[in-house]
Amino acid sequence: MSSTPRTRSLSGALFAVLVIAILVALFLVAIAAGLNPAAAVTRVVESFFPPIAVTNQGAEIRVLYDIVFIIAAVIFFVVEGLILWTVLRYRRQPGDNELPPQTHGNALAEALWTIIPTVIVAFLFVISWQTLNAVEAVSAQPALKVRALAAQFQWQFDYYDESGENIVYTQFVPQGEGGGMAVPVGQDINLVLESRDVIHAYYVPQFLFKRDVVPGRTSVFTFHIKPEDANKTFGGQCAELCGSGHRLMTFEVHAMTRADFDAWLQEHIDQAPPPPPSGEPPGSGEPPPGSPAPGETNNPANTVIQIGAQNTAFDTAELEVAADQPFKIEFDNQDPLPHNVAIHEGSPTGPDVFTGEIVTGPTQVTYDVPPLPPGPYAFICTVHPTMTGTLNVE
Amino acid sequence: MATQALAPAARGYRSGLYEWVTTTDHKKIGILYLINSFIFFFLAGLLALGVRVELAQPGLQFVTDQTYNELFTMHATAMIFLFIIPILAGFANYIVPLQIGAPDMAFPRINALSFWMLPLGGILLFLGFVTGGTAAAGWTSYAPLSEDAPLASPGYGQDLWIMSLVLVGTSSILGAINFLVTIFKMRAPGMSLFRMPILVWTMIVTSVLVLMATPVFTSAVIMLFIDRNYGGHFFDPATGGDAILYQNVFWFYSHPAVYVMVLPAMGMISEILPVFSRKPLFGYKAFVFATVAIGALGFSVWSHHMFTTGAVWLPFFSLMTFLIAIPTGVKMFNWIFTMWRGKLTFSTPLLFAIGFLSMFLIGGINGAFSASVPVDFAVHDTYFVVAHIHYVLFGGSVFGVMAGFYYWFPKMSGRRLNEGLGKVQFVLMFLGFNLTFFPMHQLGLAGMPRRIADYSSASGWQDLNVAATIGGFLIAFSMLPFLANIFLSLRSGEPAGDDPWEGNTLEWATSSPPPPYNFDRLPEIRSERPLFDARHGRIGH
Repeated sequence: MSSTPRTRSLSGALFAVLVIAILVALFLVAIAAGLNPAAAVTRVVESFFPPIAVTNQGAEIRVLYDIVFIIAAVIFFVVEGLILWTVLRYRRQPGDNELPPQTHGNALAEALWTIIPTVIVAFLFVISWQTLNAVEAVSAQPALKVRALAAQFQWQFDYYDESGENIVYTQFVPQGEGGGMAVPVGQDINLVLESRDVIHAYYVPQFLFKRDVVPGRTSVFTFHIKPEDANKTFGGQCAELCGSGHRLMTFEVHAMTRADFDAWLQEHIDQAPPPPPSGEPPGSGEPPPGSPAPGETNNPANTVIQIGAQNTAFDTAELEVAADQPFKIEFDNQDPLPHNVAIHEGSPTGPDVFTGEIVTGPTQVTYDVPPLPPGPYAFICTVHPTMTGTLNVE
Repeated sequence: MATQALAPAARGYRSGLYEWVTTTDHKKIGILYLINSFIFFFLAGLLALGVRVELAQPGLQFVTDQTYNELFTMHATAMIFLFIIPILAGFANYIVPLQIGAPDMAFPRINALSFWMLPLGGILLFLGFVTGGTAAAGWTSYAPLSEDAPLASPGYGQDLWIMSLVLVGTSSILGAINFLVTIFKMRAPGMSLFRMPILVWTMIVTSVLVLMATPVFTSAVIMLFIDRNYGGHFFDPATGGDAILYQNVFWFYSHPAVYVMVLPAMGMISEILPVFSRKPLFGYKAFVFATVAIGALGFSVWSHHMFTTGAVWLPFFSLMTFLIAIPTGVKMFNWIFTMWRGKLTFSTPLLFAIGFLSMFLIGGINGAFSASVPVDFAVHDTYFVVAHIHYVLFGGSVFGVMAGFYYWFPKMSGRRLNEGLGKVQFVLMFLGFNLTFFPMHQLGLAGMPRRIADYSSASGWQDLNVAATIGGFLIAFSMLPFLANIFLSLRSGEPAGDDPWEGNTLEWATSSPPPPYNFDRLPEIRSERPLFDARHGRIGH
């Protein structure tokens, strides 16, 4: 039988002291470096948890996460501690050639470490299932129905009327100024997910939720943003690899009170061209006539340049126009997707000097562009930041 | 028997290269597997460094979006199909016939064929880099992104990916048949099923998984090939196909494939821990049943990769996924209690084995988060899952592979490796691994999706990404002592002798390296530790 030589427990204790000393030293160094250790510890602890949920459904998931996390942490420390202790405690001493006891097993121990994990996973399964039922419940009487239509590489958001059958407004710009998905707080919202091409996923970290957007399928989930989170904006992005522009498929969710939301929706309905017929994708609707381009001048423009869009790319990389003269852009959108032509000063991220109306193809539209001072410009599609070209004004 | 007559005649009149290319000796084929796998390990590792360098700071600095997608697609495909699966098959190729006292595999020529498909498959896969782009739809290659369409996967890369994986899959299937026949028909007298080393047991279960699941996977990629090249309508919804069908067929193989990638590593750990603890494996039969249970349950959990599709029966697959934790937990305790009250010698194989235990534990625990469907809704397709698979496949399989390498290298080469360099490698790799992959848990929880080439500087994800990138270089750096160790050992290593570790199993009963056909005589086999019995008599029973 193995005895416990004093040297062994002594060096084990020495090792423990060493570890503690290193931790204390790190702590002191952190204080000396002017960090606030309490705040740092809080930050580290928080990093092991998902963001504070802003939806009721997300809050349910957060409660479940916390339980799973605590159980996981306990198991981790117990088992990892057991490994470390065993490793440190049962080192072979030099010159010790005696065999340890040849234990082949122990029925009681083995039964215990089968039964206890079974109980734990059964518990985890049951509470997960309960939360799942709450999270998965789709509201039969939602206060608002929105469709998120995903395509390479942008989101658009279609707002339905109260009957839930007719689209009253389509938000083509998924983020930024004047863009984003506005939703009311304190109400059940059903989000319908459809894809035009490949699989995408609608993911908002602060919802603690994502759902794949699978072409050929329609899926719906319900979320309910808490009233206290009104007037906040939450970032989201595509979470399923969808091609070279995957990282660009970001969007914003604007939470607002119902009154603000109604005003927002009405304002956008008033500004927008008539929506396509209900049930049909917007692409099949008639292209809106004319071009309400800002900065339109009365002088008839002489110069006409042509830009086409196909497969989410412009067919021209570089264009030239004369300076200080108005000109027209004949834009041929051959994609069943929303595109436009916007002109920015210098680079695609520079200040915009002209923004053409977003049209869903296949369709053609003519933009009247005001005179531009000479210099380098970039033309881009507001919806697809990957679509860019250079415009030289001379 | 024939051993002595054949061995000298086979030498001398053929060049070394010809000998290696035409060999049907399971040991030479096993070494070829190892060399080939390590080459792809280094290539795929370089691709991963490319990913880490790009993610170290916001903005695209080094690669385009398309190249980035190629990097992670090729990294995962090569690591899984050309490194982990084949290197474990390579170890088993070398070790299993020795451990069961057989002269070779049952079908030596088929064994050579299974190997030679691998370099060919690897070349096909990497050929994409010179034919206008490799596959870039992720190692999962979900349809319809992997279909032949302008914004999806035009070009040859995806087709080469398919051809490569059909070859590699066929190699696995042939290998699995070979292992099963070898193990069931060629065991030495006295080696009943419950006296087999655990590595042999894990290879039985692994081979059954490969045999049942790989044809399903092959059918998935062949359907994808038909879709792409002959206008099939299997997976593209635009032509009446079903995108979810691909995922079901794909994961029906690719989840069991996780066990193909980890069970043999568990088997290797289960050989190493008893030797360096000087005790038998704690609960041998329980361990065998747990292995079989993992294999069986492994076929009923594939849809846990698809929880967020909304197209699977969530409670069932959640339950099955939780259940698989039970046999895995049994194994963990068996390993720990093998060391318990033992006398541990901290040679490099044991260090890597302990690394396996402590890291695979994390990979098991963070897997439970994804088994809980609502939590999976939050963490799926984020870096949390990237952390999880690396704790299982790197913390588990790669640490297991390294343990096995240090353990069996003296047998394969006849020379010892340097313990000091081995320990340096272990420390670097252990630190680098944790620095790379632990922060990914936090990145995922903070909402960073996987497979994005860039992130906004306002996201607050940069610090953790920098840590991961530093860790990645630390892992790469840990390969230097590893390669130096092999080089120095082969050139001037200390001779290992037949049995440098006081091993338990039959491979240590023959010379290092073993002669062709392995044994001229075998010790009596009365337990799963015949050599221990020969050394210590009946004390072990």
